[in-house]
Amino acid sequence: MTDWPTGYGRRVLDEVDSTLDEAARIAPTLTGPEWILARRQTKGRGRRGRAWTDPSGNFAGTLVYRPEGRPDQIALRSFIAALALYDAVETVTGRSRGLALKWPNDVLLNGGKLAGILLESASSKDGVAYLSIGIGVNLCETPMKEWLEPGAVWPVSLLSEMGMKVEPETFLEALATAFATYEDQFTTYGFDPIRTAWLSRAAKLGEVITARTAREEISGTFETIDGSGNLVLTTAQGAVTIPAADIFF
Amino acid sequence: MTNKSHDADVEFIKALAELLRENDLTELQVKRDYGEDDSLNVRVSRQLVAAPAAPVQVAAAAAPVAAAAPAAPAAEVAEDPAAHPGAVSSPMVGTVYLQPEPGAPSFIKVGQQVAEGDTLLIVEAMKTMNHIPAPKAGTVKRILVEDGAAVEFGSPLVIVE
Repeated sequence: MTDWPTGYGRRVLDEVDSTLDEAARIAPTLTGPEWILARRQTKGRGRRGRAWTDPSGNFAGTLVYRPEGRPDQIALRSFIAALALYDAVETVTGRSRGLALKWPNDVLLNGGKLAGILLESASSKDGVAYLSIGIGVNLCETPMKEWLEPGAVWPVSLLSEMGMKVEPETFLEALATAFATYEDQFTTYGFDPIRTAWLSRAAKLGEVITARTAREEISGTFETIDGSGNLVLTTAQGAVTIPAADIFF
Repeated sequence: MTNKSHDADVEFIKALAELLRENDLTELQVKRDYGEDDSLNVRVSRQLVAAPAAPVQVAAAAAPVAAAAPAAPAAEVAEDPAAHPGAVSSPMVGTVYLQPEPGAPSFIKVGQQVAEGDTLLIVEAMKTMNHIPAPKAGTVKRILVEDGAAVEFGSPLVIVE
C-alpha cells in the first residue's frame, strides 16, 4: 500500500525484551536509520520505568538513528513522531475524525490514549550520539485498567474505536513513510512547519489544562507551544513555559 | 599503600570536605572497605562559626585569635561551580533525574569512579530522556542538582575530575 522510505532499514523480530533495548544494542553499529518491529515484547517500557504492556497484535516499534544537532533540537523529534503517528493512523484507516495530539507526543482517539511514544538519546562508547524513538500503538487491544495511573487518559484501541483490524507490519510502513517526510521537512525547513502542523492537530488548545511536573502542578490556558517545543500556559501569575510535564485534562 | 591509591584517598577526602561545606554539616564519617584488612576510615569535621551576635560583649575581645581562624571557609563562597574545569553542564532546558527510574539506585554517587561515556544523569525535555554522559573518566566530585530539579541550558550538573 505505501512505499518504504529510501535509506531506512527495517528489522522485524518475533520476540524481544523491548525494542528500545534492542535499539541501544544495535546503535553502536548502525549504518543508517533503522526501524525495529517486534511482534511481541516481554519487557515493554514506558516513561520513568512505567511498564508498557503489549498484547500480541499491537504495534511495538522503535526507530534508532543518529540525527545531527544539539540535544534540544534532537528532542523536537517528539513532535515529529507524534505527527507521523497521527498521519499513519489516518493513512491506514482513511479517517482522521476523533484524532488529536496531546503535548508533547500522545496520540488521542475519541479522547482516549491510542499510543505512547518514548524517546531516549544517549552517547555510545565512541562518543556518537544516537536517538531511539520507541512507539507503542493499541492496534487491537488496550492494557488492563489495573495498569493505569490515577487520572491517566483512558486507553483505546484502533479496533475498539474504528472497528478496523490493522496488522503491525502494515502500520509500520505507513508510520515509517510519514516519519521520513516530516524528518526531511524538519532538517530542511526547521521546527516552524512542524510546530504549525502539530498545533493544527492539538487537543484542548485555548482550554484550561493541568501540567504535572516532577515538583508541582500548574493549571492554565493552553496558549501554544513555543519555538523550542515548550508548552505555554497562561496562569493567574502570567505565562509559564514548561519543558517537561505530564498533561491532564 | 601505593601512591596511586593514596592520591585517590586524598581526592576522596577532599570531596567529603566539599560535601561538608555544601550541606552545612559539622561532621561526616565514612568507612570504605577496599578488601580484607584494607579499609579507609575518614572523619571530617569543622567548627561552625557562630553568627556574629549583634552587640559584642566587651569581654569577647579577649579572644580575637579564635575569631580569626574560621576565615578560610568564608573565602569559598565566591566559588562558581560552572567555571570549574570538571563541570558537566546541561545541554538543554529540562528536568533532571538522578535515577534511571523512580526507586532505582542513582546513576552516580559522590566519590564514585566513572568511565568516559557512563551516564551521569538524565535531563528530560519533550518526553526525550537525554542521557548525559561523563565527558572523561574520573571521580564524581560533586552533584550540583537534585532529583526532579528544573535546569537551564548550561546549568552545571556534576563535577567530574
